[in-house]
Amino acid sequence: MIRFAEIVCPPDGRDRVQDVLAEFELLVGALPAGSRRGLAAAFLALDRGARLYPRSRGRRFSGLGDAAADAYLTALLARPGPAGNAARKLSSLVAMCYYELADVKAELGYRPGPYIAAVARRRLESYGAEIRAGEARVLAPDPPRAAGPGTP
Amino acid sequence: MSGPLAGLVQQGDVTGDVAVECDAVVVGSGAGGATMAAELADAGVDVVMVEEGGYHPTESFTSENLRALRTLYRDGGAGMALGLPPVVFAEGRCVGGSTVVNGGMSWRTPPDVLRRWAADEGVLAVGEADMEAYFATVESRISVRPQDPETVGRDSRLLAAGAEANGWRVVGNLRDQLHCAGTNNCINGCPTGAKRSMLLTHVPRALSRGARLFADCRVERVTRSGGRATGVTGRFVRPGGRSGPRLSVRARVVIAAAGAVQTPLLLLRSGIKSASGQLGRNLALHPNATVIALFDEDVTGWQGVHQAFQVRQFAAEGLLLTAQNMPPPLLAALMPAHGRHLGELMAQYNRVVTAGPLVTDSGEGRIRSRLGQVFYQLTDQAAARVVRGVELTARALFTAGARRVLLPFAGAPEVGSDDELRRVLSRPVPKRVMDLYSVHIMGTARMSEDPRRGVTGSFGAFHGVPGLIVADASLFPGPVGINPMETVIALALRNADHLIEHRAAHGL
Repeated sequence: MIRFAEIVCPPDGRDRVQDVLAEFELLVGALPAGSRRGLAAAFLALDRGARLYPRSRGRRFSGLGDAAADAYLTALLARPGPAGNAARKLSSLVAMCYYELADVKAELGYRPGPYIAAVARRRLESYGAEIRAGEARVLAPDPPRAAGPGTP
Repeated sequence: MSGPLAGLVQQGDVTGDVAVECDAVVVGSGAGGATMAAELADAGVDVVMVEEGGYHPTESFTSENLRALRTLYRDGGAGMALGLPPVVFAEGRCVGGSTVVNGGMSWRTPPDVLRRWAADEGVLAVGEADMEAYFATVESRISVRPQDPETVGRDSRLLAAGAEANGWRVVGNLRDQLHCAGTNNCINGCPTGAKRSMLLTHVPRALSRGARLFADCRVERVTRSGGRATGVTGRFVRPGGRSGPRLSVRARVVIAAAGAVQTPLLLLRSGIKSASGQLGRNLALHPNATVIALFDEDVTGWQGVHQAFQVRQFAAEGLLLTAQNMPPPLLAALMPAHGRHLGELMAQYNRVVTAGPLVTDSGEGRIRSRLGQVFYQLTDQAAARVVRGVELTARALFTAGARRVLLPFAGAPEVGSDDELRRVLSRPVPKRVMDLYSVHIMGTARMSEDPRRGVTGSFGAFHGVPGLIVADASLFPGPVGINPMETVIALALRNADHLIEHRAAHGL
């Protein structure tokens, strides 16, 4: 798993792999048991399957150098069908976890906190009275409806 | 409307088994369930709602996507319909259901869809005139309106500009919002409370009229006696998914509103069958695909509401096109890259526009109760629509100035122009390479006046099981071809009215 995260994440993310794995554990914990078992099996197959890849010279994925691991994963991700699909899903999950890290988001220029605070403030300043009236409507009685459904 | 609500019971409040009696028990607190609960409670019916997910107030919503996926969605938002291709789908699981995490788009059921339901399945009182008052009530209650212009993001404007430059019809999206701030955080829960989800509307409305709500409680079975539905049993869910105390509810009426996947699963595992054999069948899901376009200048699509517009030019072909900004984790999951290449693509995050088609499909899916699994087969027609929708979306984005486009087809090359796009898509696109997802599951307990064809009658009453009513998108006899929330709520209002009119027959 560590090796997989190292290859999936961008090279400058290697020192964040433990954080990625922590996110990954939380995410996987939200999946149903069957999906967790499926993920574990897919990781195992991906790791052992590397032995069949010519450039691996019989080694598992976890034992491959960077270039060979990258080449193996590239080949796997390009495959149509179940093996490629499974590899793409695993890769997507790990990438999600990497790009969920707050400092990684900030490096992309994605800083929603201050933006949300600013537009939320603008909303209240611009429309406060109308918003309060709308919220009050939630509990108010309805006017009579114009028509009901036909009765069978 | 925040903080603990009167009438709300959460798992932490419960130390031992709970048994209650009521007139009507509603399973689920989303668009259908919360609406039925509010209407019945308003009419003086003693209502209990049971919701598997937790209560998460507006103040708890943040921009952390994975946290939202873990807490507000079923299965981390990673439901999977198996088939060719597999389709990822997401369902809300929290008080307020999917309305808490959807985009809030609120459109009336298209008149031709209503006519088809009446013609094909004999559904009564579903004409435009019959539904008018219900649509109007929905729109007033949840504040359906156009977006304030200052909240529209640049990504939406680019797609709209590209579409309009091609001469295509574009409409502003209607949403359930009280002056949406444009935080672009719909899928993580609206952090301002502007989105008028059931969490902030029909759930508190129901509770204010005396209804009770058990959250964090998974309903396991619908109980029956002499063929009649008599209540539900379930268990509270402790943190970490551990099983907690039991809940037993005895009721004169059971309303199943757990969504078009969980409702048929609940009924099937309760041993309830439809004489038509259609329970769990006819599943449609409006497949979506995402085109990723890279621009030369900053777009900063996360600043401003997503899906501000819909391209309606191709609605008759079963296609709507929209721009929906993806936060970094979700965009990374879609990128056809890893390692250095992924880093290079993601470094351009603020120059990306993500957009795509919503495709009207046909009900070719089903749910198998033994496996608890959704199966779905994309038809050739729907697959062709996906490809056409992707092509049109990419064309609009190139027209708007995109330099490169990534297609949602595994192994497809990046394309740099409309001509290149045509060349790439002139070759057949196999279904197995399509990367599809869905947030609109429908049709698994369809209405039909003919018990040999449908699961429920025109007003949601389950054929052959007195006291059991369905009240979610399961009821749809076919896909609506548009965001389904308003249809679900309007049908629930209508069916609640019908139930109240005939309350004596149900002992209410």
